[in-house]
Amino acid sequence: MSEFFRKHRNELGLAVAVLVVVAITATLSETYHSAAGRAETARIIFREAAMLGIFALGAAVVIIAGGIDLSAGSIIAFSGTIFFGLLITLAPDDPGTRWASDANLHFPQTDELALWIPAVALLITLAIAFLVGSFHTWLITVIELPPFVATLASLVGLRSLARLLIQDITVLQYGQRQSTITINDELLTSVSRESWWVSCVLWLVLSGALWVLLSKTIVGRHLYAMGGNEEAARLSGIRTDRLKWLAYCLSSMTAALAGVLYACYIGTTSPATDGMGYELNAIAAAVVGGCSLTGGIGTVAGVILGTLFLRVIIDSVAKLFRSQPDLFEGLVVGMLVVLAVAVNQLRSTGGVRKPYFPGLLGLLNVAIISVLAGVMTSVTSSEAKLRNGLLVAGGTLVILGARAIAERVKGRGSRV
Amino acid sequence: MTLDPRPSTLSHIAVRSITKRFPGVTALQDVSLSVARGELHAICGENGAGKSTLMKILAGVITEYDGELQIAGRSVRFAGTRDAAAAGVSIIHQELNLVGSLSVAANIFLGREVRRAGWLLDDRGMEQATAELFAQLETDIRPSRLVRELRVGDQQLVEIAKALSLRSDILIMDEPTSALTDQEADRLFRVIGRLRQQGVTILYISHKMDEIFRLADRITVLRDGSLVRTLDREQTSRREITHLMVGREIESVRLEDGRCPGDALLDVEDLSLPWPGHARRWRLENVSFQLRRGEVLGIAGLMGAGRTELLECLFGAASPPPQGRILLDGRPVAFTHPAEAKAAGMAMVSEDRKRLGLFSRMTVRENITLCTLRDALRGGLIQDSRERRLARESVEQLSIRTAGTEAAITSLSGGNQQKCIIARWLRTQPRVLLLDDPTRGIDVGAKAELYTIIDALCRRGMGIIVTSSELPELVTLCDRILVLCEGRVTGELARGEFSEQRIMEFATQREVHASAGAAS
Repeated sequence: MSEFFRKHRNELGLAVAVLVVVAITATLSETYHSAAGRAETARIIFREAAMLGIFALGAAVVIIAGGIDLSAGSIIAFSGTIFFGLLITLAPDDPGTRWASDANLHFPQTDELALWIPAVALLITLAIAFLVGSFHTWLITVIELPPFVATLASLVGLRSLARLLIQDITVLQYGQRQSTITINDELLTSVSRESWWVSCVLWLVLSGALWVLLSKTIVGRHLYAMGGNEEAARLSGIRTDRLKWLAYCLSSMTAALAGVLYACYIGTTSPATDGMGYELNAIAAAVVGGCSLTGGIGTVAGVILGTLFLRVIIDSVAKLFRSQPDLFEGLVVGMLVVLAVAVNQLRSTGGVRKPYFPGLLGLLNVAIISVLAGVMTSVTSSEAKLRNGLLVAGGTLVILGARAIAERVKGRGSRV
Repeated sequence: MTLDPRPSTLSHIAVRSITKRFPGVTALQDVSLSVARGELHAICGENGAGKSTLMKILAGVITEYDGELQIAGRSVRFAGTRDAAAAGVSIIHQELNLVGSLSVAANIFLGREVRRAGWLLDDRGMEQATAELFAQLETDIRPSRLVRELRVGDQQLVEIAKALSLRSDILIMDEPTSALTDQEADRLFRVIGRLRQQGVTILYISHKMDEIFRLADRITVLRDGSLVRTLDREQTSRREITHLMVGREIESVRLEDGRCPGDALLDVEDLSLPWPGHARRWRLENVSFQLRRGEVLGIAGLMGAGRTELLECLFGAASPPPQGRILLDGRPVAFTHPAEAKAAGMAMVSEDRKRLGLFSRMTVRENITLCTLRDALRGGLIQDSRERRLARESVEQLSIRTAGTEAAITSLSGGNQQKCIIARWLRTQPRVLLLDDPTRGIDVGAKAELYTIIDALCRRGMGIIVTSSELPELVTLCDRILVLCEGRVTGELARGEFSEQRIMEFATQREVHASAGAAS
């Protein structure tokens, strides 16, 4: 039993953290006080977590394999564009409409699409994502670009490509340049309302499959081995290039699947803004979930909990900050990501006994953290901003300063 | 054989009861030592005896230890190499600590660059100063060349010049001649003579008896982290030092008796490995040899001679791929990836255990079963109980000392980690086992166990190739020794013809004498 706790400390800690955050939000926010409110909140959290979770799993596989994939956000935009672009291309004409420029041509009819159309579109979208992943792998293994650079190129390039493509597609189908495509098919857009469970089921199935892959198969063990020590893995007769191919394709294909879900959820694809910055959310979910960016460490359960934690926090911010919660989201998420990873890191290295504020850098950071705490208090308080900010900043300064001084006294003691 | 406890007021360096433990191994156990000003004090011991650890403590590389260190009568505790340098201690590392992409001069002045006008680097000045240092060493390396373009021997000279440039009054030399030719070594000895005239105290680590008896005033022998004895050179002999270094347990290992190598297993013909962009052009040039079933073939050579590269070629791990022919069991093979070599029955334990062998984040079990996970499959999935059983089997077979198969690999001592890696490969049931310096950084006890394992494997008909930086090890283990020098085979010795001296002669031979290569 204690063995179980030791081995899954990270996952258990996260599970507790998720419950604590939910409990705090539930006591402070009145949306939790009605059954309908609770159900609605749960639905939102799970739907959002599922969509993030799907490509966070892909990102985690790459991280475990010792790489990094920064392209998820633009693959979401790109695949949404491809998917909707294919839908309007394959959809039959609507004879009741006419192009503005050419009265003989009709708009595509997307209200009730035959089932084969989204199915084919989805397959083609995933196939294209496979090609993107394969291209990344080629850049990384053959051209020997660092993964950061190879996928950074896609991060900026693919979004741009999607924005160009959508113009050409809309010219062909609507007779005019547009930067968005909207689909009205009820089956597809129901993902945003009654069929919210679709994403959850996909997330669950994918999690199960990846759990088996990572912890029960040879390929999975080899992925961990490669992430931990790539050269040793190669010299152990492991085909590391093929493993990378798998990892990067899993990452781009899960991102594409999430892209399709996001597009259906909104009903409109808009490559200029879709999935902007989501690659970092995915990486954050993986890292909070216990994956090490140096590779070789991480579990599917951890990534699931990391994703949930992130979404629960975002939901909590949305409920607890009554005005402009979206402004606070980044601040709170950033802080908690640092905190979660720092706790993990300190546990494995020096723990609490290690000096946190050595030298000039330490003193400077005592000041930085105090100011940060003060500013954050000040911007979140609704009245007496200045007084609250100064109070908290002063308090933090005293506490951290005391710690810094204690460290110096102790350090001198142990040296003599 | 009198111990000479010179009064501590005179001793330049005094080490008092220093103990250093690494996870899983005690590197130094209660070592006390004093060195007089101007003395050349040799430290001897096998690999893993604790020599380098002691020197690293003196040079401020290792800062966590128990015990006390005094320099010139004052107690010191270095917080880093800068402290040590300020106290007048500098070190020539055994492992080269150079930045390949910087010039020779930039390396020598790294961290204390000569400046002009406060901020700008004075490259010209540094290059001039470097040239003067090289003149002392009677060598003509161009100071503006990039270090990575130099031969390993020249790189070692750069290390030496770097240490000299500090003008320290305590100089630690950790196997300074391991990559030098005889001529270069002679020049170094002349420099050492001049330094001694200037009153520099030198700690000299080596296991080459010739050097030690030529240079040292006193000799300290370490074994398994403990100081065995300190002796005056005049009052001891090579035999005694060797005896103290090795201890009795190794001598009792008699390995070669009754081994009878069978038919040819591996034939290597004219193997060459290009070295693009390098003056030597070939890392390996026209290497030919044969390995037989049930034979241990040793590969000897100085650093940079191509030992590791040769094994990598055989294992399909070299890039670019080598030229020439390799026949395994009479059939030509050309491996392009270690996976192919593994499938054909080859196994390789690499030289740098931490970097190239160990999965430090995994358990003992995972490290052992990695290459043979197929055996633990059931219905396509790894079955935990099976995998554990396989790992336990290997742990018992090689008597690996571990808390269990689920222990972290890093909790084991170096020798037991190495046994795990060997176990990983033995599970693949290889026909040819390539061992690249398998006892590096392993304590003497574990070494003897490895020798026994190697012997047993060879008696079962496996063909084994061993490289080693320690000649006595090859002499103990091998049926035949192939000597490499700068990528070429310069000699081949059969058991009976072995002697450290003959091997060294071949290993430092810069001109290849075809007759010598074929003599045996």
